[in-house]
Amino acid sequence: MNRPSTPGYPAGHRAAPAGNRARSFDYQPTEELDEPTLDPALATSPGQGGVGVFQAPRPTPQRAPRPSAEPAPPVADADIDSPFLDLFGATRPRLPRAAIAGPGRVVEREQPPALAGPGRVVEREQPPALAGPGRVVDREHPPVIPHQPTAAAAPAEPGGPPATGRPVADLPPPPVIETFTVAEPAAAPATPRVPHQVGDRLPSPRPPAAPPTLSPTGDDVGPERRTDIPTARDRSAAAGPPAHPTPGPGLREAASATYREAPAGSLRETSAVPYREVPAVPPAGAPPAEAVPPATREVTPPRQRSAGEPARAPERRDRPIKPRRIKPPKIKFGDRDPAAELAITEIAGHLTFTPNTVTAWYWLPEVRWAFRPDAEREALLSAISEQYAGLAGFRLHLRRTTRPFPADEWARTIDTHTASPLPDVAGTPGWADHLVAAQRHLLSVNHAEGQTYLGVTFARRSLGDSLTERLLSAFGRGVAEGERRRLGRTVEQFDEVLGAFGMRGRRVTTQELEWLLYRSVALCMAPPGALSPITDGRWERGDLLALTEQVERYRTPYGSTVKLVNRMTGEERHVAVLAVGRMEPLEIPERHEPWLHFHERLPWPMEISTRVDILGSADSFRNLEHRLRMIRSQQLDYAEHGIDAPPELERLAKRALVIGDEMTTGLPVDSARAHGWHRIAVGGRTREECLERARRLIQLYSRELRVSLQHPKNQDWLAREFIPGEPIANTGYVRRMPVNLLAAALPQAASTVGDRRGDLIGRTAGTCRRPVFLDLHFPMEVRERSGLAVFVAEPGGGKSTLLGALGYLAARRGVQVTLLDPSGPLARLCAMPELRPYARVLNLTGSEHGTLAPYSLIPTPLRSEFAAGAGGDREYEIAVSNARAERRMLVQDICMMLVPPQVAREASTATLFRHAARQVPAEETSTLDDVVSCLGQLDDDAGRELANLLLDTAEMPLAMLFFGRPPEGLLGPDAALTVITMAGLRLPDLKIEREYWSAEEALALPMLHTAHRLAVRRCYGGSMSSRKLVGLDEAHFMEGWRSGRSFLVRLARDSRKWNLAALVASQNPRDILGLDVQNLVSTVFVGRIAEDAEIATEALRLLRVPVNDGYEATLASLSTADATSAARLGFREFVMRDVDGRVQKVRVDVSYVEGLLDHLDTTPTAVAAGGNLPTVLSDLEA
Amino acid sequence: MRLRTDDDIYRARLVYLGPPGYTLPVHLPYAQYGLFMLLVPLYMFIHWLFTFTVELFPAWEIALAIVTTSFIFRYVDPDRPARMVIRTALTDWRRTREPAAEQRDPRLVASRIRIREELA
Repeated sequence: MNRPSTPGYPAGHRAAPAGNRARSFDYQPTEELDEPTLDPALATSPGQGGVGVFQAPRPTPQRAPRPSAEPAPPVADADIDSPFLDLFGATRPRLPRAAIAGPGRVVEREQPPALAGPGRVVEREQPPALAGPGRVVDREHPPVIPHQPTAAAAPAEPGGPPATGRPVADLPPPPVIETFTVAEPAAAPATPRVPHQVGDRLPSPRPPAAPPTLSPTGDDVGPERRTDIPTARDRSAAAGPPAHPTPGPGLREAASATYREAPAGSLRETSAVPYREVPAVPPAGAPPAEAVPPATREVTPPRQRSAGEPARAPERRDRPIKPRRIKPPKIKFGDRDPAAELAITEIAGHLTFTPNTVTAWYWLPEVRWAFRPDAEREALLSAISEQYAGLAGFRLHLRRTTRPFPADEWARTIDTHTASPLPDVAGTPGWADHLVAAQRHLLSVNHAEGQTYLGVTFARRSLGDSLTERLLSAFGRGVAEGERRRLGRTVEQFDEVLGAFGMRGRRVTTQELEWLLYRSVALCMAPPGALSPITDGRWERGDLLALTEQVERYRTPYGSTVKLVNRMTGEERHVAVLAVGRMEPLEIPERHEPWLHFHERLPWPMEISTRVDILGSADSFRNLEHRLRMIRSQQLDYAEHGIDAPPELERLAKRALVIGDEMTTGLPVDSARAHGWHRIAVGGRTREECLERARRLIQLYSRELRVSLQHPKNQDWLAREFIPGEPIANTGYVRRMPVNLLAAALPQAASTVGDRRGDLIGRTAGTCRRPVFLDLHFPMEVRERSGLAVFVAEPGGGKSTLLGALGYLAARRGVQVTLLDPSGPLARLCAMPELRPYARVLNLTGSEHGTLAPYSLIPTPLRSEFAAGAGGDREYEIAVSNARAERRMLVQDICMMLVPPQVAREASTATLFRHAARQVPAEETSTLDDVVSCLGQLDDDAGRELANLLLDTAEMPLAMLFFGRPPEGLLGPDAALTVITMAGLRLPDLKIEREYWSAEEALALPMLHTAHRLAVRRCYGGSMSSRKLVGLDEAHFMEGWRSGRSFLVRLARDSRKWNLAALVASQNPRDILGLDVQNLVSTVFVGRIAEDAEIATEALRLLRVPVNDGYEATLASLSTADATSAARLGFREFVMRDVDGRVQKVRVDVSYVEGLLDHLDTTPTAVAAGGNLPTVLSDLEA
Repeated sequence: MRLRTDDDIYRARLVYLGPPGYTLPVHLPYAQYGLFMLLVPLYMFIHWLFTFTVELFPAWEIALAIVTTSFIFRYVDPDRPARMVIRTALTDWRRTREPAAEQRDPRLVASRIRIREELA
């Protein structure tokens, strides 16, 4: 089973030519090998493991040349490639092909002459169909193999599916056969079908044809097999006698070649042999069969065996007569029994039984760790340590394994939440391709979710119990009911202890236990594919356990790794198990990460197994006292001998005394001790890779945590220790620690953020890496919160790019997106081919009069937006008058911005503007010209002066936007993506007094204000429930104006009602905090803030992360460039707070969208150079 | 929270200084003496298997035991007790063949495990 199936190649689009492009640049190209590639030779046969995985038969490399070699290509040859044809009448064609085979052909097929008779050939071909994955049989026939070169050469892996697939293809249609049989009788039988296979793992199309002489392994014969027999017989009958010819010289050559190769693979290969069924030998067609052997033998290069053959031939002939199971002869090996049972004999509910012990298993959900206040963390740790202390007297097995992120499940989710994605544009990746690219990206970056299991070994089974079980299992019943009932009562205590705050463990299900067992046996190997999308993994009960049969284990003398091979997929893994050695003191919540969570910093999944005995106070005190006495006696010894005792003895004795004192006087939590072994398994595709990973892990731990990981020998035992129920590998590296420290290991810590239904925007960049999804409408639609999202970062921190990326992703999902980008680079988003037809750019600097007319920027509410009835009426009226008040406020503010600051500061100005605003009806249809004329009609000089001032500004081309009526249909709701830019506008520096602004800069301020309104105005056009998104850059210009604040507040309030996601980007968190809307903020992104500690503090406040706890430094270290590299930083990091209050460091990565980053890149050089994005991301933190 | 293991207490080096009144020139851990005392009879037994005689003073055996003991204790430290070192030596030594030769450990097979959805 290979990579988890990615659903959603809808309509057969094979996801863009993307291939590598979809992959994050973070990984070296080799990384992709982590997904086991499918080696056709090793693919499982269809139906294997009871999973409906059909491995489409594929042409083997040998196929290609064949056509040329064949004198007359058979008609149906190429297409008939289904393994199932065996099961139907289709077998017939086969014979012909065999017969046809010319000498030239022989080379391809290595089949030795042994298979002379046509009838024989048929037999041989049948067996492959039956090859089961789990068979052990293959091993049993080695001796036979030698004289069957073909058999040996053929299939690398027994019973591979390709084997089944091939046969049919080889066989040309019957008619042809006849002609050819005559022509080239010799070659045909001899070269049945096995193509030339060199190495032993090459895909062999069909399992080696075993010589007829082989004894069948009757056991496995399934019913299907039997049904085949008739066809075989028919066929042989049809083919008739012509089939036995003497092999040509070419054939012999081929055969000998085969033979040469054979021995290497022979031990393993035999697959063909086991499967070949004697019954298959057609009783009716017997005559041809008999004729064959002599001929065959002649041909077979390995002469040695031929002697034995005659004797066997008759035996074979007899056999068909009585179809029954035949026991294969047991073949003895020097090797031990190739399969060993696990210690676990039964899984019942959440209990596992071994002959001596019973273990109750609990599932520990992930807990959030990052960015939590230390007090909370400490509370968590002490709760967990209390739970551990409550388990005193039991042996615990703490296992952490991983599950690849179910990308397809996510894709399905997002697809169902996307009612109307943007229609595809021909020639560009459509919605489906987009999703596929995202899934590929998800898979390629190897996100793995942790799963933590805790096993409590709580009962020792009496002899009677295990004998009863043994007896009962003979009748298929397993553990006696009485015992189970008894245990059922005792385990309840653990539910109580573990279910409380802290671990919050729950009982595992049997499926989870199976999964754990499989993952433990196949340590560090790819999980079986179909289970990956858990929701419809089709594993039935026991299937997963059966899959363990495929996993073979190898080791080298005193080796540093264990090699695991999955026979079915060919996956090969080298696993190194590291033991936790000496540990220096750790300050867990304050300075260090939890020490068994820490490994997640490295980008590949690892497994953890911890076996500890929890000692209660009495036990641990006794243990300690014993140790103390030993130390004391040693000291005494030194004194007796008149030698200076090493000072460490005294120190240790003192420490022992202190600890002993804590134990006797402290709480049970203080006295409980956990003595045990902690191991981490690291896997790799090759030994070198595995050791390199182990080395990096060791380095990371010793550098950051001062924990020395040891790499002991005896690896196979250590690897076995990961399997629940198996014994402890050895007593080395036992760690004795207070339960507090064990609790602080916290392997279940995790840091997720975001919802699981939105677009993929990157991954978490804290200690562990999880994909981050963000649906900006999630807060409104599910959480019923406001949709205001705030982005804060220094210039260059990636705000605009993130804004653009989110806008793009939302637009793809059919959300109506409006982006306001004063500086303009986001306009290039509209040039992306897939968006171009649905996007428009509105450049305000080139717009018509009245585009920004303030009165019309605030929409009048519609009655239909409110509930029916009197209450609705009232609300409606309030809303209408609110809109009027807001218009007046806006008009006043705009007028104030338009007049010179000196004038604006005068008290009369405000009064006059207020007066004018009151006179002019505050309706959408009013214009600024009305205000001017109103002012001009006043008999007050100041009023006329103001009117003139306004008219003066109106002469500037940009200010014309404020006057007059807005053009019709300026911002219809038609375009999916609208980008409003103000290209060429010079934004003033807010730190400089307004007096010193140039006229153009001064004009920028009202323009920004109104442009923000304009961007939002568009959203009030369509239906209330349709999804809308507004992205507003440079929102810090809103600060300091009444209308600015009311704008943001209104935005936040309306966002829920109008299903409007509002993204507001600003350089300073104070803008938002100062506006006092932070309660309405649902999502926060804080980028790099290194310059100003105060701003960093504000940003933390915005994130609701404890300030002055050292997190300011985290903000400063975001997106830190490597000083040694000259390349540009290829990623941006943010600290993100999602609507559920989870905070996490996030690395934004939208590289899976082709071309998006190129279009978003705002760096001048990149723009000039055609937008080449730096591709080298240093992703590995260690 | 400052958290530390208790391991250092268990790491104290306990050595045999010699009988009272006489201090040995070398101080070796008790465990080393213990192992030595186990090894001598073992070697004597092996010797006996070959020769069917028992020497009065098993000089060879003692010499071998000393060598073996020191060899073993070269790998022993507080984290790796002698028992583990010996056991590793014994287990890892068996059937240690490069995987190229396709020698395998037994597969660990879980398919015989019986599964019940509910405990009782």
